[in-house]
Amino acid sequence: MRQIGKKSLVLISALMLVLLAACGGNSSQSSGEGDKGGTINAKIGVISYLTGPGAAYGEAITNGFKLAQKEINEKGKVNIELVIEDSAGKQEQALSASQKLMSDDEIVALLGPTLSTEMNVVGPEADLNGIPIMGTSTTAEGIPQIGEYVFRNSIPEALAIPVAMEKAVKKYDVKKVALIYGNDDVFTKSGFDTMKEEVEKMDLEVVTTQTFQKGQSDYNAQLTKIKGLNPDLILASALYNEGAVIMDQARKMGITVPFVGGNGFNSPEVINIAGKAADGLFVATPWFSEKEDPKVQEFIKKYETEYGKKPDQFAAQAYDALYIMAEGLKNAGEADRDALRDALAEIKDLEGILGSFSFDKDGDVEMDPIVLTIKDGKFQIFE
Amino acid sequence: MLGEFINPYYLQIGSFILINIILAISIYVTLSSGQLSLGSAGFMGIGAYTSALLTIHFDLPILVGIIAGSLVAGICGIIVGLPSLRLSGVYLAIATLGFGEVMRVFFVNWESVTKGAVGLSGIPHIGRELLNFFRDAGFDPSSIGMRNNQFTYLLVLILLLLINIFIIWFFVRQNKSRVGRAFAAIKMDEKAAEAMGINITYYKVLSFTQGAILAGFAGALFAHVLAYISPADFAYHRAIEILIFAVFGGSEVILGAIFGATFMTIMPEALRFISEYRYMIYGLVLIFMMAFRPQGIIDENIMQWLKKKLPSKRGRSHGSRNQKHM
Repeated sequence: MRQIGKKSLVLISALMLVLLAACGGNSSQSSGEGDKGGTINAKIGVISYLTGPGAAYGEAITNGFKLAQKEINEKGKVNIELVIEDSAGKQEQALSASQKLMSDDEIVALLGPTLSTEMNVVGPEADLNGIPIMGTSTTAEGIPQIGEYVFRNSIPEALAIPVAMEKAVKKYDVKKVALIYGNDDVFTKSGFDTMKEEVEKMDLEVVTTQTFQKGQSDYNAQLTKIKGLNPDLILASALYNEGAVIMDQARKMGITVPFVGGNGFNSPEVINIAGKAADGLFVATPWFSEKEDPKVQEFIKKYETEYGKKPDQFAAQAYDALYIMAEGLKNAGEADRDALRDALAEIKDLEGILGSFSFDKDGDVEMDPIVLTIKDGKFQIFE
Repeated sequence: MLGEFINPYYLQIGSFILINIILAISIYVTLSSGQLSLGSAGFMGIGAYTSALLTIHFDLPILVGIIAGSLVAGICGIIVGLPSLRLSGVYLAIATLGFGEVMRVFFVNWESVTKGAVGLSGIPHIGRELLNFFRDAGFDPSSIGMRNNQFTYLLVLILLLLINIFIIWFFVRQNKSRVGRAFAAIKMDEKAAEAMGINITYYKVLSFTQGAILAGFAGALFAHVLAYISPADFAYHRAIEILIFAVFGGSEVILGAIFGATFMTIMPEALRFISEYRYMIYGLVLIFMMAFRPQGIIDENIMQWLKKKLPSKRGRSHGSRNQKHM
C-alpha cells in the first residue's frame, strides 16, 4: 500500500512538473504577443553534444550561442529564446531531440546538431517538416545538399584544405607528398577525400598513403615508412589530439617537412601537446583568435569573462550562427519557418567575427579562409 | 482533431523502444541457453548494411532487404557459432566481442562498398515509403486530420508493434516447447543435458543463430528508420548497451528483457530536463541495480508474484499448461 502511495506521489509530482513546463511555454507566448514594439520574438531549438566523450565541443557551441543570444536580445530588435537539447553524440538521440523540438510549433528554426553523422539523420527530417536547420560544426561533404531547408555556417573541409595546400605547395615547391589519415572517423575521412582530390588536381606524386585509428598512440610504423620515401610535404587529416602526437613523433624521428592539416587539426591544443614539434603545421580556418579585428577581440574578452576560458573555433562559429539567424529573422519580419528559410537563403556579406559571410545556392558557406601556420610555438597568419 | 494528440516525438521514441526490445530479446535468446554473446552489435551491423546496400543499389523493396539482412546475419551466426561452441562464459563473450570489432573494422575498410567511416546515407525510410504507397493508393493523411510526419511515424510505430508482438509471442511459445526446455537444460548443466540425450551442438548453435537473426533483423529496421548508418553505430558501445537491456531488466525471463529495453530507452529521454546530468543518473541507476539486484529487476520470483496478482488472466494459461502435462 505504502509503495502504491509513493508511486502515485512520484506520478503526481511528475505531472505537476509537466504542467509547470506547459505553463512556462504559455506565458512566454502571451508576453510575446503583447510586445508590439517592433520586436520579433522567436524560439530557436538547439541540438548539441552535451554529454559523452565529445561534450567539450557541445559545451563550446552552446556557450557561443548563449553569448550571442544575450547580445542580440540586449539590442532589442529580435528577442530569441533558446531551447537546448542534448544529443549525446548519437544519431537516435539527435533524431528524438529534433522531433521533440520540431513538434513545438513555436520553434522556428533549429541549430545543430554537432556531428555530421547526426546531421545526416536530422537534416532530411527537418527538411521534410519544413523547418530551417543550420549546422555550426558540420563540415562533411553533402550536408547542405540534403534539402533546401538545410544550411551550415561551418566552413567545409572541401573549401579549407585546398587553400592551405595550395599555399604550402607554392612556398616549398612541393613535388612529392605523403598522406596520413584516420580512417574510422567521418571527419578525418572526408578531409582525406578532399586532400586526395586536390593532390590529383595539382598533379603531385603520392609516395604513400597511411592510415591510423582513433585513439592510437604509436605512429612509428607509419612514420618510418613515410620517412624512407622522403616526401616534400605531409598531408595529415587528423583531429588535434592524434595529429599533435603524430607531429611530435615525426619530429623526434627526424622528419622535418611541413604538415598540412584539416580543420580538426586547428586547435591551440596542438601546441600544448606537441610543443616545439608543432612548428611547420599549416591549416586553413575562418577563425583566428589573434586577428586585429575589434569585433574578434571583444568577443574573446566577453567569452573569457563569462566562461573563464578562451573560445575556440566552435564557439566562434556558433556565435556567428545565431547572428545569422537573427539577421534572417529581421529580414523575414516575422517568426515563421518558411519566411525565415527564404530570408536565410538570401543572406549576403554579413559581417561576423569569422569574416564576411554568404550562403551559396545550396545553403553552403561562401567565405575566404585564412591560412595559419605554427611558428615559434604560436599560430600566425601565413602570407 | 486526431493530429493534435499525436506527437511525432513520442512516436519516434516508441519506435526506438520497439527496435531495442528486439535487440534485447536477441541477447535474451542466447543467454537462455547459457551463452553470453557480445556479438549482437556485429550482427546488427551485418543486417543493417546488407539491407541498406540491397535497397540502395538494387532498388529492392525494403521488405526484401530486411529479410535478406536477417538471413545474412543468421548465416554469419552459424559460421561464428559453430567454432565458438567450444568456448563458454567469459571466453565466448570475448570471442564474440572480437567478432563485433572485426565487423566494424570491416565496414570501415571496405570503402568501395560501405563508403567507410563516412557512412551510408539516403537509405529508403520505411515510413516515407509507406506514405508514398498510401498516397499512390489515393489516401491523404490530412483527410483524417494528420500531418505527413505524424502519419509516417504512426505507421512505423504500428508496423514495429505488430512485429514485436509476433516476436514476443514466438519466443514465449518457444520457451514452453521442446526447444525452450532444451535451452533451459543446457543453461542449468551442459553435461547433464547431454546425458539426458539433448543434442547440445544443435541447440547451442540454434540459440546463437536465433540471436544473430534477431539482431540482424533489428539492425535492418534500424537502418530503415534512421535512413543513415555508419560503422560507429555498431561499435562495442552498442554491444554493451544491448547487454545492459537484458541484464538490467532481468535475463531469466523474456519480460525482463522487454522491460530493460523500454526503461533504458525512456530514461535518458525522460531526464532531458536535467540535460548534462542525465547520463550520471543513468550510471548511478546501473550501479545501484548491480549492488542490490544483480539478477535484474524482473526475475522468476517477481513473475510468480505477478501471476498471483493477475489470477484471472494467467489462470487460463495455467490450465492449458496442466493439460499438456497430462
